[in-house]
Amino acid sequence: MIEISNFSFTYRESSEPVVRDINLTIPDGAFVGITGAAGSGKSTLTYAMNGIIPHCYPGDFYGSVKVCGLDTVECDLTEISRHVGSVCQDIDSQMVSSIVEDEMLYGLENFGVSHEEIETRVSEALDAIGIADLRDRTIDSLSGGQKQKVALAAIVALRPDVLVLDEPTAELDPASSVAVYELLRRYAREHGTTVVIVEQKIALLSDYADLLVVIESGRIRFADCPENVLEHADELLSIGVNCPRSATLCHDMKAAGLYAGPICRNVEDAVGMAEQALGLASASPESSRTAADAFAMTGAQATADIAERTAEKGGAR
Amino acid sequence: MSAVRGFLEYVPGTSLLHRMNPVAKIFCALLISVACFCTSNLIFLACVLIFDFALAAHCKMTRQAMGLAKAVTIFSLILAVIQLLTNSTGIELVPLPWGYIGTGGVIGAVTIILRLVAAAVPLFLVMYVTKMTDLANSMVKVLHVPYKYAFTFTSTVHFIPVFMNDMAGIMEAQTARGVQFDQGSIVKKIRLMVPLCIPLLVSSVRKTNSAAIAAEVRGFNLRTRESGFKQYPFAARDFVSLVICVGILVVAILLGVFF
Amino acid sequence: MIEFSHVSASYDGELAVLHDVSFRIEDGSFVAFVGTNGAGKSTTMRLINGLLKPTEGQVLIDGTPTTELKTSELAQRVGFLFQNPDRQICNNTVREEMMFGFKALGQESPEAEVRADEIMAAFGLNPDDDPFLLNRGTRQLLALASIIVLQPPVIVLDEPTTGLDFRECTKVMEIIRRLHERGTTVVMVCHDMEVVADYAESIIVMSRGKVLAQGPTYDLLRDRALTTEASLVAPQMVALSLALVKRHPQLAGTAVGLANTLTEMERALGLEIAEGGEPR
Repeated sequence: MIEISNFSFTYRESSEPVVRDINLTIPDGAFVGITGAAGSGKSTLTYAMNGIIPHCYPGDFYGSVKVCGLDTVECDLTEISRHVGSVCQDIDSQMVSSIVEDEMLYGLENFGVSHEEIETRVSEALDAIGIADLRDRTIDSLSGGQKQKVALAAIVALRPDVLVLDEPTAELDPASSVAVYELLRRYAREHGTTVVIVEQKIALLSDYADLLVVIESGRIRFADCPENVLEHADELLSIGVNCPRSATLCHDMKAAGLYAGPICRNVEDAVGMAEQALGLASASPESSRTAADAFAMTGAQATADIAERTAEKGGAR
Repeated sequence: MSAVRGFLEYVPGTSLLHRMNPVAKIFCALLISVACFCTSNLIFLACVLIFDFALAAHCKMTRQAMGLAKAVTIFSLILAVIQLLTNSTGIELVPLPWGYIGTGGVIGAVTIILRLVAAAVPLFLVMYVTKMTDLANSMVKVLHVPYKYAFTFTSTVHFIPVFMNDMAGIMEAQTARGVQFDQGSIVKKIRLMVPLCIPLLVSSVRKTNSAAIAAEVRGFNLRTRESGFKQYPFAARDFVSLVICVGILVVAILLGVFF
Repeated sequence: MIEFSHVSASYDGELAVLHDVSFRIEDGSFVAFVGTNGAGKSTTMRLINGLLKPTEGQVLIDGTPTTELKTSELAQRVGFLFQNPDRQICNNTVREEMMFGFKALGQESPEAEVRADEIMAAFGLNPDDDPFLLNRGTRQLLALASIIVLQPPVIVLDEPTTGLDFRECTKVMEIIRRLHERGTTVVMVCHDMEVVADYAESIIVMSRGKVLAQGPTYDLLRDRALTTEASLVAPQMVALSLALVKRHPQLAGTAVGLANTLTEMERALGLEIAEGGEPR
């Protein structure tokens, strides 16, 4: 569980707080998306969760942040890192080794994972992220997207209770982004991991997040399930956050009195809504998802592939 | 970028040199290098050079070794020319206002080139056949070097290609807006390059800062000598190699003392 | 006009990144390259502005092969906006940055100054600001402005919206739309399919170093076989329309079955929308 209460933070070099009056409780195992306009304080909020604030950036810290029962001000960063795994935005600077395998070993070695267990952890994490074939490559030879996956695998191998990811799909194409979210969700469910993701791609968040946090100028504007947050399409737009098209469509339909259900989080939901509006026989939600899948997520192929492999691994363990 | 990529970077392989203990490798290379500075015997230096290339050929690194030898030769030419012009000994070949170029100078110049190339190639070869992390980890494990220093060393080396990439990207971006790096005098080129150092500096400061944080959140402070997963035991081949290299050094010292 | 004729290319003589790529981009068009990471899109962009030369075939800019043009000559014909503005920006003030291209080309003139002033005003950039203290979105705008000021007939954009928030993204894309309306040829690589669908007239689909198809944006995005092969994610409204047709074949050819944009879908579903309603 992450409990943030009355939290404000001002970097030493600035006069205004970057985030202020933050009150947020994240239950264990939640999949949380944080979004907001550039410079709204999203990254700062994640730094508070993984202890980088106050331990690496000096400044004025008000309120309290508790992660897995640890007060982040009282504990040292290493102690927090045992529970929270982070992938930051700048992937290049995150790498400590020149070879993928060594990158994977680094954290495991440091946190004293027994040497017998290390091999299992490494191959499991590589398989979970679908990059087993990159194991012996030099990091210099990887593409940006591959590096992002390596960074993610290196953190997943540590089996943290909380994963804090700052724009983990920034360098990825849409199909691979969907695949990464799919495997993150699957992994998190299997291991009971809490996932906190900063993301600009709102369509992914509204589809995958349990809790969507929208920040405006350092304050939490919304923190609710995506259906409820997306109800406020106009307000979101005014603070620089757009809605996925299916949500906007649904919103406009509701405004015109043509539809009365919850806001559509994704294309599958929109299919159901359109059927209702057109007076067509709606099939079961299950088949609706399958049909839409074929079109909406061609990345599903890759996803299913990775998911299958993950499942095999999970079974073998 | 192409010129930079792969320079002194690990090339995977399974040769004897690849499999040797990293610590043994670096010591062997150092012994050979030191040996080259212990004697001026041309035949000995030539033999070492041949030995260097035999090693390079064994681990399929001839092309890289040739490139390095060429680079070192060019560098040592400066020293060789100085030697040529100032060492007026032996039979006079060309008169100079302050003396003459003599056979002594010629031999001295050849010795310098041979010596530097013969000494440099094994050291560079180690870089090609050893992963940087293996080198650092084995230093920590075998030689008990404090991890902090080993880490500083590996991250410096690890960041070189990252910065090179950055620099190549910056030059590319400037080329795309019409800056001509490929023509004009050196002075003009340098004037064009100077402003580019600013973005590079900004990005490197940012990078080193976040690299330190990234290492810390992955337990940097907990790391001890026992942390390393990989073991680096000395095998028979390592002892044999060390003995051979000590032998080379002894020969060099004897040659230096008695001839 | 940009023409690729049987172009293959590789880095450091290693495995070919592009294999036998041919296509033509007419003057005044707005083309987006789409495909997965590693499909060869960025390589294609680098070939267009001569940063990379083909190993086989020819890249022709207005009929001249790039191999016969100096990069500085190419720079005047093709403006290139990189994904990362930090690699481009290298001056101490916004004004110097705007004038840097002219300086590099040896074309400083009072007229150039006037043009720079106009563009800075239009973009809302303060000439005396320090570029390194601006935020990412503004730096991207500055990088774009310093390219546009040179008035290249062709502008190439490598993922211009990555790392930008929605507002910044819209601002950058609207500027590009206006440029295109005034006759600039726009070539872009973009992962955001909603942006591609909103702005590009046609797309070129790439996969594994080859061109799979070239054609009008929505025609290709509705082609299921193609999007599957290239691992493309169709824009949401296209996906919705296709899913509805698939589940209810009687919708084929109806307004719902043909809807591509939000506006079209809303109309099809019975919403009254004022003429010229912009999709959000």
